Amino acid sequence: MERAANIMAGRFLSSIVPVAFGILGVLIANFPISILGGLVPPALLVFMPLYFWAMVRPDLMTPFWAFVLGILQDLLSGGPAGVWAASFLAAYFLIDRQRDMLAGLSGIGAVAGFAVAALTACLTAYAIVAVYYWHLPPAAPMLLQLAMTVLFYIPGVVLLGFVHRRLVGPYRSEF
Amino acid sequence: MANGTWKIARNRSGAQLPIALLAALAIALILIGKAQNPLFDRARTTVTDWASPVLRIARAPLDGLDRWMGSIGEIFSVYQENLRLKDENARLRQWRNAAVALEDRVKRYQLLLRAVPDPKLSSVMARVIGRSNQPFLQTMILDAGKRQGIKPGQAVIDARGMIGRIFLAGNYTSWVILLTDLNSRIPVNIEPGNTQAIMAGDNSGAPVLDLLSQRVVLKPGAQVVSSGDGGLLPPGLAIGTVVENSTGGYRVALLADPGASDDVNVVDFKLKTEQPPATTANELPATAAGLPPAAPPQPAPVAAPLASAPAPAVKPTPAAPPSPPPAKPSAAAQEPPTSDTGNE
Repeated sequence: MERAANIMAGRFLSSIVPVAFGILGVLIANFPISILGGLVPPALLVFMPLYFWAMVRPDLMTPFWAFVLGILQDLLSGGPAGVWAASFLAAYFLIDRQRDMLAGLSGIGAVAGFAVAALTACLTAYAIVAVYYWHLPPAAPMLLQLAMTVLFYIPGVVLLGFVHRRLVGPYRSEF
Repeated sequence: MANGTWKIARNRSGAQLPIALLAALAIALILIGKAQNPLFDRARTTVTDWASPVLRIARAPLDGLDRWMGSIGEIFSVYQENLRLKDENARLRQWRNAAVALEDRVKRYQLLLRAVPDPKLSSVMARVIGRSNQPFLQTMILDAGKRQGIKPGQAVIDARGMIGRIFLAGNYTSWVILLTDLNSRIPVNIEPGNTQAIMAGDNSGAPVLDLLSQRVVLKPGAQVVSSGDGGLLPPGLAIGTVVENSTGGYRVALLADPGASDDVNVVDFKLKTEQPPATTANELPATAAGLPPAAPPQPAPVAAPLASAPAPAVKPTPAAPPSPPPAKPSAAAQEPPTSDTGNE
């Protein structure tokens, strides 16, 4: 009985880890203190756990959680509500359709796969903002943010992989 | 980094339907936000109000690091910068002397003309506790909110010039939209010449000048100040100088540096509503028609007091006489403003 309770607790813990990492990413990236003096926009840290677990554990990182993380990102970044929510869903759609291909990538290819998904999210956000304000915003800050995000993904995926192996694990039906 | 080692959860049961539904919800949120729904803004200010103590504590040790990292690019030009600043300082001293003499002369002219001086602007000092440099939004968070009298729309200035405007005010914190932000539009005057224009941010360091008259040719170095049109901002706030764009347009080199400002002032400016002149008894329609003016309403008779209650000590006020024609300005109003220079 006690063992079953432990297993249940462990499963619950593993199920909240992806979303918890997403929320942590939103909080860190939008903490309004820049250690680079505002030279570059902050990396889209929330997108790393979103991409990673939407690819390997879509049962834990569902479209609903992608939407919630997007709303949080909108709320804390100060932008219009719904922009990042829609952008993350667009990227989620891509990941969902190309999951086998993306999960099969390794090395530079894995980073490139992430970059394509992040580019989808950023381009969607750019398009929405352009329509929202009826004015083309400069692309350089968005490209800088994309570059920072991809740069941070290289150490980030190592950490996420470690957490996935230790805390989350593969989907139960795969055993 | 190899993704190939991950076992994928093959749980694709209708994932695309939720995506479509949630995407529709996100678009609905965008449209609601466009309609100025205050719900999201209130949530945002609540979050920053709640997090402001954490921001203040976290900011303290990072302030120095932030400044140091921000000035990395200037390390290699310190000597040249020092020479330039010395030269500028010498020129500014000359300008200061000229300004003092001109200020004195203006005061004397004001005395001669009995001009009413501009009202002094009150301001609230606030500390910057956060900066957000997102791709589509450039903001600052201040540690003063509604409780300190901050209201949306007020101008935010530092010692050098205008930085931006308040766009969200919580109870203890407020968000500033910078002049460089994509959403910023400020009516400005360009001196000399009193040319009117709209200064529009585009997320670059120098906002664009949209001239209201296409035939105007500006000189680089001309001063850009707020025009005060619309009544939201006080006129005459220093903003920057005109620089020529490579494409032939004009931009504004801002005087203030939002990245380096730690303490700012939020200017409380409100245009006084214009009061119509007081109506005299002779101007009333009844009087103009040759009828006697209506008697002012009599006070209601005091109800009979209860037997146990004492009689009220309030006397009914006598009917006020009709208001006299407007008197001449009082002596105090006529008195010219005193000058503190002592040159009169």
